[in-house]
Amino acid sequence: MPRTTRIETAVDLQQYRRQLLAEQDPATRRVRVCLGTGCTAKGAPNVLERFHQAAKEFDQESFAVETKCTGCHGFCERGPIVVVDPGNIFYQNVKEEDVPEIWRESVVGGRVVERLLYKDEQTGKIAKTPEEIPFYNAQRRIVLALGGVIDPTRIEEYLAAGGYAALAKALGSMDPDEVIEEVTNSGLRGRGGGGFPTGRKWRSARDAPGEPKYVIANGDEGDPGAFMDRSLMEGVPHAVIEGMIIGAYAVGSSHGYIYVRNEYPLAVEHLTTAIEQAREMGLLGQNILGSGFSFDVRINRGGGAFVCGESTALMASLEGRVGEPRAKYIHTVESGLHGKPSLLNNVETWANVPPIILGGADWFASLGTEKSKGTKVFSLVGKVKNTGLVEVPMGMTLRQIIYDIGGGIPNGKAFKAVQTGGPSGGCIPAKYLDEPVDFDRLTQLGSMMGSGGMIVMDEDTCMVNVAKYFLGFLKEESCGKCTPCREGVAQMLHILDNITKGEGREGDVERLEQLGELLEDTALCALGKTAAYPVLSTVRHFREEYEAHIHERRCPAKECPGLFRYEIDVESCTGCGLCAKKCPVEAITGERKKPHTIDLEKCTNCGTCFDVCPFSAVVKV
Amino acid sequence: MPTVTIDDEPCEAQIGETILEVARRAGIWIPTLCHHAALEPYAACRICVVEIDRGRAPTRSVGRWQIVTSCNYPIRRDLTVRVNSQRAIRARHGVMELLLARSPESPELGELAARMGVDTTPYPKVTEAQRNCILCGLCVQVCDEIIGASAISLVGRSVERAVAAPFRMASEDCIGCGACAQVCPVGTIVVRIHEDEVEISPFKSRVKLRRCAECGRPLASEPVKEALCRRGGPTVVEMLAGENLCSRCKREKLARELLTSRK
Repeated sequence: MPRTTRIETAVDLQQYRRQLLAEQDPATRRVRVCLGTGCTAKGAPNVLERFHQAAKEFDQESFAVETKCTGCHGFCERGPIVVVDPGNIFYQNVKEEDVPEIWRESVVGGRVVERLLYKDEQTGKIAKTPEEIPFYNAQRRIVLALGGVIDPTRIEEYLAAGGYAALAKALGSMDPDEVIEEVTNSGLRGRGGGGFPTGRKWRSARDAPGEPKYVIANGDEGDPGAFMDRSLMEGVPHAVIEGMIIGAYAVGSSHGYIYVRNEYPLAVEHLTTAIEQAREMGLLGQNILGSGFSFDVRINRGGGAFVCGESTALMASLEGRVGEPRAKYIHTVESGLHGKPSLLNNVETWANVPPIILGGADWFASLGTEKSKGTKVFSLVGKVKNTGLVEVPMGMTLRQIIYDIGGGIPNGKAFKAVQTGGPSGGCIPAKYLDEPVDFDRLTQLGSMMGSGGMIVMDEDTCMVNVAKYFLGFLKEESCGKCTPCREGVAQMLHILDNITKGEGREGDVERLEQLGELLEDTALCALGKTAAYPVLSTVRHFREEYEAHIHERRCPAKECPGLFRYEIDVESCTGCGLCAKKCPVEAITGERKKPHTIDLEKCTNCGTCFDVCPFSAVVKV
Repeated sequence: MPTVTIDDEPCEAQIGETILEVARRAGIWIPTLCHHAALEPYAACRICVVEIDRGRAPTRSVGRWQIVTSCNYPIRRDLTVRVNSQRAIRARHGVMELLLARSPESPELGELAARMGVDTTPYPKVTEAQRNCILCGLCVQVCDEIIGASAISLVGRSVERAVAAPFRMASEDCIGCGACAQVCPVGTIVVRIHEDEVEISPFKSRVKLRRCAECGRPLASEPVKEALCRRGGPTVVEMLAGENLCSRCKREKLARELLTSRK
């Protein structure tokens, strides 16, 4: 498709969209290969290459075949994912060698390759389209709607799918105050973690005196196990840019920055391409769509410091200084980047703006709960069958997300807790599984929404160890500026380390709670203030596990080495002798073909016997 | 003019002043470490925290009283502050205990702790990085903001953070002025005078020392003289020109000259 020159007006934009749609031949067959992070890691680029190759060699005249890449489909567990149109046929776990069959049977032959379809484990039902898969049909995709559909490197696809129509509407028929009112009425709250009402932030930024004003997209996602913003920037970069242009128009800014971490090379690449394309078409730059409004965006790559996701640290980093937070007694909307009014929103927040402008505040506010509107993207990971990226309306229960969408816990294990809100979030136990997920409820449960990480844990997970893991992360990532976070987190980690080694002492839990309170009260930034949450929430919901470690020198989940024993189950042991052979300290004895025993005096709890036993006869007690 | 009520005592304040400034004027003591009147508040040490009444503003879990750092909280309207509430004292003590664990050997820190009523710390030492430094950042700030040398910076993260020159090597930008040692609240930075060099420890930097031509007493370093000449213009250049004498020898010389001229 030839690219037009600059789009000068909203009418031009509409015409161009019609032209793009008209050029699409309904007879064309399409192969969409997911090149999201998960699928790419599993070999999707080679799959795509094979399809490209097949398309090149294809010489039938009756219809054309288009092979292309898309952003993340969300169902990363089953990647690489390939979707064939017409029919929206969803193939999963596709390998390079499956390509010829899909091409011959499905793309050309119009049939379905059944063995590559999704099969429900419980019901045995085969799903042809995403809509038939439980993982998808319980979701409500708004910001991720185009994720697995369009090629993120081609602005034409975003335009054909209705992209930049919200911008045309805002610039053409709304004044800045109306835009802010629409966002305010939608009830949108910041998706980066704070949950601050977006409309109110925009209003403050508009009212703040000072020129120039800046708008900033925070794409410094750094929570372990989280990839919501990454997938958005990689898969639908234009949605973020469109949201930013609308926000800039609303608050009166002509300079924007996208701060994205350099460890997201594909996000940087796709955003760069998207900005260039938008500039070429006149959607960024001077006099956008003939409105007289001008705005441009620059990308700034972050160095990977977790703390740079904090707004003031991010701005310090943008200014070229050390990424350290500063006090927010004067808000960044009044004095932010270079001391000027700065409107910073998370990537997902920005991506929510175009749908709100197009669909209206009332529509958006009809989704979600009383105080948390719209949808939220979660990265569902850990001990759950269907790991991936899910977008659900606010207020959906944890059980629906983990069981209906996530498919429950694998290997027949029991659910123990779900960790939400990133490293400084908290762990929520099974008794709250039916609680609705929204900003306020998660906070009441001692956790938080955060940016949307959701790590599921099963019965084999030691909650003290979980707290230790997150504190270890936070210790490394504490910028070290303020005393409580720098020293307090290290002290807490020291105590946790002792507890998991069986060296915990009376009063350790109380000391952890004291330190937690100190951090919440006195730390400089939100990261420090919440750094103790993993500990406080696990103490709150799993205090008995801490006590078992300290008083009985026992790890109930049997995860902390030395705080449980290995034994050989006489019934299951066949006397194969493998464990005895592999034991590095010769602690296992027994006659051949007779049950073996472990000499606990010699045993170092290394776990080798447990790992090598083919009959699962070595058990943890 | 807003009124700031500190521990039930009304104090006059200007808009834009900090709580600490108002409290000091009113004779109310708040401990500080990373604060220096000549420098921008950095608010890193957190030892000066107090409680303020947030009024209707929603704060979580702890009611409407919020802990803030007094050194940089700006007065914008009437404000009620508690310096000596139980919670504020507990917070300051907690911070001091963490600092004592980090720098147990500093007499200056021990003195401040004693004045605050903190005898000891329940915490062990968890890092060996930069002995006795509490990472308040004053040295870095004075080197940048006042001296203009920017020879040192805070490097690294977490408890391993340290103050150092680039690559932790001796800095070429250090002029050996000793301002960093002057502002260090815990006596960690030391100026060492060698034969013909001045050393700033622990930054490893050494610069050429000037000595009094008469008595041999150490004078400001060579780069400090150059910096003063650069900054001060012709008058200073003239003043510092000629023989290198310390102020005492200069006085004595002048006195001698005066006496001779009278004769």
